[in-house]
Order: sequence, then C-alpha cells, then structure tokens
Amino acid sequence: MNLMQHPELLDRLASNYALGTLRGGARRRFEALAREQAPVRAAALIWQSRLSSLNELQPQAIPPTAVWTRIDNLVQGDKAQAVMQAARQTAPVTPSKAESGVGGWLRSIALWRSATAAGALATVAAVVVGLGLRQELGSEIARLQTQLQATPQIEYVAVLSDDKAAASMLVTFDPKSKKLTLQRVGAYQEAGDRSLQLWALPPAGGPKSLGVLGTDKLLRLTAGESDVREVPTLAISLEPKGGVPSETGPTGPVLFKGALIQKML
Amino acid sequence: MFLPSSPRRISASSSSFHSKHRHAGRVLRSANPPVRSFYDNAAMTTENHDALLIVLLERIAHQDEAALKALYDQCAGKLYGLALRIVTQREWAEDVLQEAFLTIWRSAGDYRASLSPPMAWLGLVVRSRGLDMRRRRAADRAHLTQELDDTLSDTLEGDAPNPMDTVQASEQAWALHQCMGQLDNKQREVVSLAYVRDLSHSELAQQLQLPLGTVKTWIRRGLDQLRVCMARFA
Repeated sequence: MNLMQHPELLDRLASNYALGTLRGGARRRFEALAREQAPVRAAALIWQSRLSSLNELQPQAIPPTAVWTRIDNLVQGDKAQAVMQAARQTAPVTPSKAESGVGGWLRSIALWRSATAAGALATVAAVVVGLGLRQELGSEIARLQTQLQATPQIEYVAVLSDDKAAASMLVTFDPKSKKLTLQRVGAYQEAGDRSLQLWALPPAGGPKSLGVLGTDKLLRLTAGESDVREVPTLAISLEPKGGVPSETGPTGPVLFKGALIQKML
Repeated sequence: MFLPSSPRRISASSSSFHSKHRHAGRVLRSANPPVRSFYDNAAMTTENHDALLIVLLERIAHQDEAALKALYDQCAGKLYGLALRIVTQREWAEDVLQEAFLTIWRSAGDYRASLSPPMAWLGLVVRSRGLDMRRRRAADRAHLTQELDDTLSDTLEGDAPNPMDTVQASEQAWALHQCMGQLDNKQREVVSLAYVRDLSHSELAQQLQLPLGTVKTWIRRGLDQLRVCMARFA
C-alpha cells in the first residue's frame, strides 16, 4: 500500500512508531517503508522529535549532592586517562639519553624544554611532567586509583608519581582519625642525610608542609581536614635531614606529585 | 489547566536567537568566572536558556569541567526527575544520572549533529541510560511494578497535568505540554509511561493491571488527540 495516499494513516503509524507502541511485524514493515520513502521517514522523525519532549514533562526531583561528587570523580579519572594518551603521543619528544647523570628534577625540566621546543604539545607536556605520567605505567596508576577508591572509609586519595610515571607513593586521608597514611610503592630510597617532606599545594598561597616522612614503607602523619580539604595537589620534595619549616617552602627538588581526589562514601 | 500564554515563544525569531547565542558565547569564552555570573542570572527566557545550554555543551565538548558543573546545576533536577520516572528506584536513578553525565562529558561534541533543542538531547541521553538500567534490572521486574503501582495510584487519580518548568522548556516541549494538557488524565499517563519506559501495550496493561483493550483505547485516543493538537504547532 502506498502510505503517501493515506496521510492520516501515515501520521498515525508514525506517532505509534515514535511512541514505541508499534511493535513486531507492523514495526518492521513501517521501518522498511521509511527506508524506501523519504516522506515516511520524515513523518517518523517529526514524531520522534515531538515525543522526545515527553522527557521534559516529567516531575522534577532534586538528586542527592553525592551524585555530583561521583560524576566529578569519574570526570577526573577520564581526564587523567586523556593525559596518559597525550603522554604516549609526546613520548618520542622525550630525550631518551637525558637520564644519565642528571637528577629527576633536571630530567623533568629537560622534558619540559624539549616539549616546548616541539611546540604543539607544550601544555600537555607540562601536565604530563606535573603528574608524572608516561607510557605503560599510566594504567598501573589508574588501577591503583580505582583500587583505592574501592576501599571503604577513606575520604581522600592521591597517587604520587615521579617524572617517569612510576607510582611511588599512595596517600590516603581519613578525616575522622585525622590520619594521613603514606605507603611507599616504588623503589625510591632517599640518602641517609636526606628526608622526604610532604606538601599540600593549595590553589592559593604557597605550599604547606604536612610533615616529614620516616624511612618506613608505611608512614602515618596527623593532619586536620582543613589542611587537606580543597587541596588539589600533593607533592613530596627531597629536603635536608629532618625537613624544612613550612614557611620556607620546599628547598629541594619535587620528586613525586599527584592530584588529591575526594572519595564519596 | 493552561499556562500563562506569553508571547515570548511564538515570537522567537531565528535571528534574535542567533545574536543572543553568539553574545552568550562571547561572554562565556572570555574567562572562567563569567560562566557562573552568566548562569546565575535568574531571569532567563527560553531562548537564552537554550542558548546557554548550547554554549555549555560546546564547552563541555572541549573538556571544560566548569561547564559540566554549570550544566548539572541547570538540568540535574529535571534529568533526575526523568530518571526516577523511568527506573522508579532512587539509587538506580542516581546511577542513571551519573552515567548520563559521564556520557554527556564524553560525547557533548555529538550534540550539534542532533539538531535538537538541548534539553531534548539531554533527555534522550538520560532516557537511553535509564532504559539500559531497566533492561539490566529486568530480573527485579516485580519490584518495579510494586513502586509503579504506588506512583500511579496518585497520578491516575489526580486531575492536574504534569508540572512543568515553563521558563526553561524548549518551544517544542511547550507545544507538547499544551497538547498533553488537553488529554484525559489517564490517556496522558499511559502515553507518557509508554514513551519514557518504552513499554508495549501488553506490558502497560500488565503493569497497570488494566485490560489490554483499555490500554489500547487510551493510547489510541491520546495519540489521536495529540496528532490533531500538534498539527497546529507544526
């Protein structure tokens, strides 16, 4: 039958099709006609578009605030992944011989410079250096981060990495007990006359010392939630034995750095 | 019930829409803070609300998190309401909203190709995630039906059309709202449910515990009235 000669029937079928109540064989026949005949297709699209507004006519409800936090955390994860991919693309730019005899801090500056010289990916490279993400180790970080987020009762999580993207330190913060827990996961060991110092890098103002690390694999520091809340990044610098006062800020190279993520319970 | 018939919708010419859109884009692109000051501006008509959402979607396509948050603040209530209506369980609706916003974050760039008003596109994203969730939870169907009956006893009894935020509705939604408002309450409810939950006649009959013939009649009459009414807006 030629539907074009029956405009009312066409309209009725199209509205039923778009509503979803045209089913089975009738639906398949309508779809076949729509593929062949543009006016049938147009009628279907008009009704799909009209009825899609039914989505807007439903009663509103306020979602719990936790939903946004979950979305935000997932988006941060997505961004980290994007940075890793960008890092893979920048990899050829990285001077592979730069390691010899140069410290981690200088190496990252070298990476910075060559990336800038290369031009296009300068911004990305800065982030890459900052987060210390590179190559296959990226996925390891993502895995650890997921794992950490799955652990209950930890409200803040950070994975601090070095400039070679090796995850070197896991940091968790439990605001109830005010305990910062640091776990060394890399092979890095500071020299006997040096100490590692943990810093909060708030959005405004200079770095704030959160404490000096001992040499154990698992370390605990005490910190108030106000020290940790709203802080986007944590960093660890290499300092003289015993650390330096918070006011002076880090004096040695920043070895590890990472974003602090708030985890919802 | 009729909405206050303001001239703003019908007179929305495409040229004025465009100039506002560009203006909004310029304001929003200049720096980060203006996002907030712009969307905090409460007195917002349909056209520049749509324009705001479009600009936000563009910025989200460029991975702007502030824009995603602004979009969430603008639309979460409406989209969560829709999610609740589709899946009926609060925690599932929260998951649906979360998945929907992640989808928006990843594919806001697809919006432009859809040629839809922004809320229509966002609604389709939520509905699609919601229907996925319903399919995943198909085993708990009995549970779904239970809650469905609770909400329906209210809606089928009542006499008022669905509430609607008239300021933020797209032109298309407003027209549909007008036409739905003319339907008998039961017809409106089954048409609405059939669509948002993608239910067949027999599934509706089963869930509403109504005879199949009754459901078919309500849907047919509802759609017939909608067809006549919507033709006036075409």
